[in-house]
Amino acid sequence: MKSKFMLVILVVLALFSVSAQQKEIRVLLANHPYGDLLKAAIPEYEKATGVKVNVESLQESQLTTKLTTEFATRSSTVDVFMTRPLQEGKMFYKNGWYEPLTGYDFSDYPKNALDVATFGNKAYIVPLVTEWEVLYYRIDLFKKAGLSVPTNFTELEMAAKRLNSSDMAGFASRGKGAAAVTQLSSYVYNYGGTYLDKGKAAFDSKEAIDAIRFYGKMLANYGPSGVTNMSWENIMPLFQAGKVAMWTDASVFYGQIVDPTKSQVPAENVGIANFPAGPKGNTPFIVVSWGMAIAKQSKNKALAMDFIKWATSQGLAKRGMLANITMARNSAWKDAEVRSKINTGLIATQEYAAKYGIPYDRPYMSAVGEARDLIGEVIIESINTAGTSTKLEALAKDKVDAVNGLLEDTGEYGVY
Amino acid sequence: MRISWIKKGLFFVLVLAIVIPVLFPLLWMLASSFKTQVDIVAWPPRLVFTPTLQNYERVFREQNFLKYFINSSIVGISAVAFSLIMGLPAAYSIARFKQKRLSIFILVARLMPGISFLMPWYIIFSRLKLMDSYVALILSHMLITLPIIVWIMSSYFETIPIEMEESAMVDGATRQRAFLSVVLPIAGPGIVTSVTLSFIFSWNNFMFSQVLSMEKTKTLPIAIYNFVSYAEVDWGAVMAAAVAIMAPAIILTMIFQKYVVKGLTMGAVKG
Repeated sequence: MKSKFMLVILVVLALFSVSAQQKEIRVLLANHPYGDLLKAAIPEYEKATGVKVNVESLQESQLTTKLTTEFATRSSTVDVFMTRPLQEGKMFYKNGWYEPLTGYDFSDYPKNALDVATFGNKAYIVPLVTEWEVLYYRIDLFKKAGLSVPTNFTELEMAAKRLNSSDMAGFASRGKGAAAVTQLSSYVYNYGGTYLDKGKAAFDSKEAIDAIRFYGKMLANYGPSGVTNMSWENIMPLFQAGKVAMWTDASVFYGQIVDPTKSQVPAENVGIANFPAGPKGNTPFIVVSWGMAIAKQSKNKALAMDFIKWATSQGLAKRGMLANITMARNSAWKDAEVRSKINTGLIATQEYAAKYGIPYDRPYMSAVGEARDLIGEVIIESINTAGTSTKLEALAKDKVDAVNGLLEDTGEYGVY
Repeated sequence: MRISWIKKGLFFVLVLAIVIPVLFPLLWMLASSFKTQVDIVAWPPRLVFTPTLQNYERVFREQNFLKYFINSSIVGISAVAFSLIMGLPAAYSIARFKQKRLSIFILVARLMPGISFLMPWYIIFSRLKLMDSYVALILSHMLITLPIIVWIMSSYFETIPIEMEESAMVDGATRQRAFLSVVLPIAGPGIVTSVTLSFIFSWNNFMFSQVLSMEKTKTLPIAIYNFVSYAEVDWGAVMAAAVAIMAPAIILTMIFQKYVVKGLTMGAVKG
């Protein structure tokens, strides 16, 4: 009996060692246009290298759950994966789940994009896709009202007031607490504030509070009703249904609001412009929303490196651009064919943001989810009172202490 | 005559008051599954629209939902079948030998948050190289199906008069024989109830499949997320997929509805 059992084990082991000799890697992708593009292109890679790529694509929160479970139980077979640097990067790095990418050429990436990909003096994430905050507006409505596109917050408010009616929200932006944090960030920056300053929460500064008050005033007075429950999932359909005159959000939505199969508003009526300037200038966020990394636990690191070099190559980046994905590589934006096909407004806003933008759209820390919930409460209070709440300073101070507590828990307080 | 009319009318109004809140989202979902993306986001909502099948086409042609249907069926049916094989004798034993502690122990397994099982399972299954296998999924889904079957069936068995088995045993049948030939045949409605309920719970389970399945064994509730992309939701396809996923559960419940109610109340009024 015992010898039979041993025999079975030996056979099983032999089988696995055979399968290990076939070159194979496992890649986890996100449900994302670039993930789809890669999935379609992977057969080319397999053909050229003879490596079998086992690919899975998952919705982003499922992807995080799966990666976390696999890595935390130390039984992962993932070699390469797509990752969200700002949302999970710090946590993954601190847990030692990223493999440092020595030998990868990062010279083609904007400096601010590499900020979030680097820890200490080593890079761990290849930036894939960037997005930045812009102003979407209705060209036809502006023309009819004889308005020009707002370039600063004062003009933004004036235009919102003029265009607002019972049937049309003059202005929209995310109002749902935690989801609004990212889009509020550019407002905070343009007022001269920030979420975290030198590793300490700083959104109770006068500048940040002024920004939160302005945001609350705009949304309460000119925003769609029920805006405190709205994230992009709710605002985009409103814009597509022609019920919103101006909308500040990430550049990633441009493709969907000019797509005639998705929007009732004709594409020629949809404009895209730089985020308006505030009292302290104009530094909208430009973030790496998705990157790609190699798993520390991978047993096929050489193959993984080869794959990641291909998956983030200039050639594929160009194909991404032509599929309306805003890639991180500099060269992708300079390509003549790309420039002739991409909307000039989008190119102009990217150029501005890449030059002057700030590479964070949320408090950059391990407990980013909890911190966003806390800041979200301040935003909701501001919207509910049209920015006039007398409690706002005290509330913000309260939440700053709470965020500092979170930073202390993970040993990030005062570290930068 | 008049009073009965008023009574009838009132009854109808009350029925509507209960049914509308339940049915409205379902009807909305059904309607949206035949709309284009533009019609779905239109405001005010379009009640009259040109129906399209493109959403269903995306669900079944581009995403091959048939595969996920098969996966969900394999997992659900096997989990229920194995749970019956293990659960029916267990329930009988609990009912006849008053093993209350055992039944509470089984209930505790059901009451524990499922997520607390996931980490150990993940480690075990990945060491055994059972990730992305039906075996792992079926075993995990038995955590859902087995307690339901044991609990419904043990109270059902208690309602069956013990005299019937006793007379069989007097005639020389063993207890096993009495269970198989006397008790099981009259436990039909109870079995149908527990099978329907446990199958639906397995069919709808998201959490276990999310971690333990991969591309090959993906089940329906996971696959519906194929239409949720970064910064983009294909609402039409999500609605169409949801309709397709709900249909079997609704049809199953409608067919066995009579038994389900009977089986559920059977244990409640035992004298």
